Amino acid sequence: MSSSTLFLRKATGLVRSWSVFDAFVYAFFSINLITLGLYIFSQMYYLEGGLLTTAVVSGIIILTQVVVYAGLIAVMPRAGGDYVWQSRILGGGIGFVLAVTGWWFILWLWTPLYSDMLRHEFFVPLLGILGMQGAADYFAWNPNAWFIVSVIMIGYITVIIALGMRSYARVQKVCFWVGLAGLAIVFLFLLFGSHDAFRAGLDARAPEMFGSGAAGGSVYEATLAAGEEAGAVLPMTGGSLAAVFLAMPYIVFFNLWPNWGATLYGEVKGADDFKRNMLGMGGALVATTVLAVVFFLLINKTITWDFYTNANGAYWNYRWGFTDQAPPLNFWPYPAMLTMFLTSSRIVQFVVILAMSMWFFGWAGTIFLSSTRVIFAAAFDRVLPEAVATVHPRTRTPIWAMVLMVVPGLIVSILYVWDIANFQSLTLMSTLVIAITYLGSTISAIILPYTKKEMYEASPIAKYKILGLPLISVAGVIFLAFLLFLLYQWLIDPNGLYGIGLTNTSSMVFMLAMYGIALVIYVFARYYRRSRGVSLDMLYKEIPAE
Amino acid sequence: MPRLFFATDIHGSDICWRKFLNAGKFYEADVLVLGGDMTGKALVPILALPEGGFKATLLQQEFFLPDEGAVADMERRVKSRGYYPFRVTAEELAEFEADPAKVDAFFHQQMLDVVEQWMALADERLDGSGLRCYVCPGNDDAMEVDEVVCRARHVELAEGRVVELGDGFQMISTGWSNITPWKTYREASEEDLAVKIEQMVGQLGAKPNMAHTVFNFHCPPYGSNLDEAPEIDDDLNVKEAGRSLVPVGSTAVRDAILRHQPVLTLHGHIHEGKGTARLGKTLAINAGSLYEQGVLQGAVVDLDKRRGVRSYLLTTG
Repeated sequence: MSSSTLFLRKATGLVRSWSVFDAFVYAFFSINLITLGLYIFSQMYYLEGGLLTTAVVSGIIILTQVVVYAGLIAVMPRAGGDYVWQSRILGGGIGFVLAVTGWWFILWLWTPLYSDMLRHEFFVPLLGILGMQGAADYFAWNPNAWFIVSVIMIGYITVIIALGMRSYARVQKVCFWVGLAGLAIVFLFLLFGSHDAFRAGLDARAPEMFGSGAAGGSVYEATLAAGEEAGAVLPMTGGSLAAVFLAMPYIVFFNLWPNWGATLYGEVKGADDFKRNMLGMGGALVATTVLAVVFFLLINKTITWDFYTNANGAYWNYRWGFTDQAPPLNFWPYPAMLTMFLTSSRIVQFVVILAMSMWFFGWAGTIFLSSTRVIFAAAFDRVLPEAVATVHPRTRTPIWAMVLMVVPGLIVSILYVWDIANFQSLTLMSTLVIAITYLGSTISAIILPYTKKEMYEASPIAKYKILGLPLISVAGVIFLAFLLFLLYQWLIDPNGLYGIGLTNTSSMVFMLAMYGIALVIYVFARYYRRSRGVSLDMLYKEIPAE
Repeated sequence: MPRLFFATDIHGSDICWRKFLNAGKFYEADVLVLGGDMTGKALVPILALPEGGFKATLLQQEFFLPDEGAVADMERRVKSRGYYPFRVTAEELAEFEADPAKVDAFFHQQMLDVVEQWMALADERLDGSGLRCYVCPGNDDAMEVDEVVCRARHVELAEGRVVELGDGFQMISTGWSNITPWKTYREASEEDLAVKIEQMVGQLGAKPNMAHTVFNFHCPPYGSNLDEAPEIDDDLNVKEAGRSLVPVGSTAVRDAILRHQPVLTLHGHIHEGKGTARLGKTLAINAGSLYEQGVLQGAVVDLDKRRGVRSYLLTTG
């Protein structure tokens, strides 16, 4: 029986395949356990939903997001992501406002957050290991140092972007393997180390390396006491279902990003590509969740969950200004550094912390790369001036797009680092605004089979149905409900848990300013282009075929 | 002040060709220009089943087609994506599988037949419209496509010659590209491509007015961001899941643009490379392509005798 279903000729662009593993690496870095994960877990010390349970349940729900985005890619590949999907399905104005706020403006706020992670996972521990206690303390607490780290980080990202995607992909691959090796060593230390050894190591080495300590007592004991005073209650497992759900608006800071690399693939590909996208993004989400679970269990075994949570509580309680009492452990309780108190070898400590920092360096480029894409797409649509899409003729660096990221990023860093106008309370705003962007794409996905019927029917996902309904719509509805739940909790914040809701004036002003600026740019562009004889309506209108 | 609509790389998509023909009226354009690569890349057999009905596989989904209506609908869907449907029996399909030369010949004929049909449709739709329509086959189009285009009454072949766009604007075109890994019909070394381009520039006259000249070159200029394509390995597998982008444009095209500085250049070839770039005084546009989705990406450009490019817009129609 003949079996050929397709004959291809030699033609430009016909590629054979792409590696699911490569897609996995990018998504795996985007839901970054070591940077985003550990940073946000540490801030959740006062919540009552089990962290492990919350990570697993939220991960399962976020799989619907993977379906939504893999579906959108399958129907409209090579289109450029949220901006293009939304502008083509929901309309140009909505697409522009939601995309530039979620993929450009709000990433300014991520600048100080990224640099905060960098200083705590790279500068502070390495300086402490090198015996530079004063410098470590300076980088841990001084806003000037934090700002310096922001500038260094922006410099690094600029170099990465100037090197181009090809080099960045290579850098990322190296960082992936080195970072994983570092994590494996941390896991081994935790697996074979004992709690007593950890406690002894902490009490002996933290004062020596970082100057940690309580008046004449054990750092360990003092940290437990400070944490309890701070109200650290976060359990590893358990908590009521309601408590678990109330922890989700926090944890999504870490795991809402498997779709970050939603992008382009080859031609004449079908359902297989949809499945491969699912595997790449979904696999990364599952693998990261599993790694988080293992990390929690190992922390519980050797460091103990009690100490971990109390150390986090003591740190953030002081940093957020709820107490004047500095934490006995006078640096961010980075689990990798805590683990390294199990060894007295400075070389091992240095190598492992350096290896673990690859989780940052392999990931940091994403902050501006995605923004650059949206800025370019908006410039090609003539909503932004053509100049912002220009690249340097020799280095091919998108100079103006970088300026549009770097300058506001530094301004927001100043506001955040020195906590001007209560800016440090806005951490979760970084996630909220992107969630609103996802909301637009999710609604686009839900209605896609009905509003772009022909395009949907011609796509490889048309055959996937649940109870006769398109899979992308069903997954979209579930994910939409999740996003609406998150937005309700963040904005209304009935339990006062997240601090970015309607009661936070800075938060509301910042958010409205971003949406306002986006709207003004769009309205101005429409008016200006019309005065030049070009209607932006032409951008998205479909030409009749008959 | 001529308004030009440019689209490219529709690769056999029936719906995109129909949209292209309607684009003049839709965008109120005076001139239609289709860049290269009109022909499709895939044949989709629609297999007659011994027990009756047909079956076909599109995008790795198998469809049973019980009657003529279902088969016609499938053929329409296949054509919309830019592929060529053909009905076969199991025996005929086995012959195709056993004989690649037969597949090649059939493919070739299919391409020419479809272009022939398209030209007939253009003659019908453009008749009396006053629109000028230029087509310049690209590196993926067989040489015989030119002859088919030349037979059309309302479509002009633009390859290798100077054509008028109105208001004193002229355009030279070539669908040839630099060497690709796919060894397609119209590829040349950078040196040969440079010679071809200079021959065309020579046709513009001794002192051509580059402020009123458009280069319609299928291949985009090297390193312009309009030529960024996913990096592939020797076996044509995409590296880094498509995230590693590399410039693959032509240095000859780039040099020609920088040397002559035409007011506008139009490109395609790299479907992912939609965008604009400035090379000195020249505005370079790659309209990109989403032909498989039946979406006609294009560029609407208003040319002005005094200002050159008065305005432009990249469209998704």
